[in-house]
Amino acid sequence: MDYIAEGLVQALNLLLQGDPETFSAIWVTLRVSTASILASLILGIPPGFLLGHYSFAGKRAVRVIVDTLLSLPTVVIGLLVYTLVSRQGPLGEFGLLFTLPAICIGQTILGLPIVIALTASAVETLDQRLPALLSTLGADRKQMLLTTVWESRFSLLAAAVTAYGRIVSEVGISMMVGGNIKWYTRTITTAIALETNKGRFAFGIALGLVLLLIAFLINLVLNVLKKRTQV
Amino acid sequence: MPPLYELENIRQVYARRVVLEIDQMVVYPGEIIGLSGPNGSGKSTLLRILAMLESPVRGRIFFSGRPANPNDLQSRRQITLLSQSPYLLKRSVLGNVSYGLKLRGITGKKEKARAALSMVGLDPQEFAGRMWYELSGGEAQRVALAARLAIRPGALLLDEPTAYLDEYSAERIRSAALYAVEKWNTALVLVSHDHAWLGSVCQRILQMHRGRLQAS
Repeated sequence: MDYIAEGLVQALNLLLQGDPETFSAIWVTLRVSTASILASLILGIPPGFLLGHYSFAGKRAVRVIVDTLLSLPTVVIGLLVYTLVSRQGPLGEFGLLFTLPAICIGQTILGLPIVIALTASAVETLDQRLPALLSTLGADRKQMLLTTVWESRFSLLAAAVTAYGRIVSEVGISMMVGGNIKWYTRTITTAIALETNKGRFAFGIALGLVLLLIAFLINLVLNVLKKRTQV
Repeated sequence: MPPLYELENIRQVYARRVVLEIDQMVVYPGEIIGLSGPNGSGKSTLLRILAMLESPVRGRIFFSGRPANPNDLQSRRQITLLSQSPYLLKRSVLGNVSYGLKLRGITGKKEKARAALSMVGLDPQEFAGRMWYELSGGEAQRVALAARLAIRPGALLLDEPTAYLDEYSAERIRSAALYAVEKWNTALVLVSHDHAWLGSVCQRILQMHRGRLQAS
């Protein structure tokens, strides 16, 4: 048990003293995961809105596919992106393998089904009286669309926070297509996996604490948003 | 005075069942009409058709002399409907009341919204900044009416607006609706089981039974 306590003390020291290696992994994680969630939101909210708002032939089949993709393993996404960006792959000429953009592509694929599915659910569960209200107060089509999006803002934020939680804590994609290169593509999760294998528990615990803090903040925000959407 | 609404041979059908069958109906500006009848007699369906929220399967409707069409924004913006449990937008009271004005690009939204709040007996100072979840049922209903009054409608359609309210809130709703008629010559179509109210304010009370108008 002593080595755990010692690891914890050392971890706090690393964080408090601003250890460059620790903060490099934190900074890389925040940069790449923020870019990924933004891409997921930009690409995911419009189709999610359409899926939730309109009825069309094959809608149920699309929902089943999107819901299935929610449980897509990160190593499978890693494999897919690896085949795309490796030298022989269709995107090989861009030299993306073992770069942050490659991780970003993978994490966007990870976040996309979450954003689409939760956006569709948010729009589907909007109050049935909303369209009548907008019509009776004189909204045109564009105004109805924009107000509907605005009315589902808390649910959309909750979708973003949920997707961010999944993205920031994944390890498979970052490891496979990022390569875990120190100072460059090493994220919190890949650093924990590597350094724990090397016996550097304090380093792993320090990064684990940061990840826990991020998870705590994400859940805190989700909790507030859930309350707001229920009133 | 030319009629505001003219309805001819209206029929509405839900799931192959005829729910509304009206040969003729006319509503004039400034007129107060009551609709009375048992549940399921077609009163709310008629109001939804008058509000252009749905189109009948048969028949013709004219609003201000023009064929009624939900895509005709100019006509639709003169009509508004308040139901017994209206939806409030997830924003402040002021945001809710000024929403219709904002859609129309009307200037002086805040002042007009505050005046509408006063009309329904809500102190703008106290209520304007409140959020939608900080209101009681009666206050929410009055905010919803204020949002409709703010746009100065040509036709105000009220579907049992006082059904779940205490006497104070109900009275504020009644007096605000009458104020619109007096001030802007708004046509008022009321659905209510409150026969005393209908009897005291309506120029005509139309009885409905099984989708048909029984008597004037």
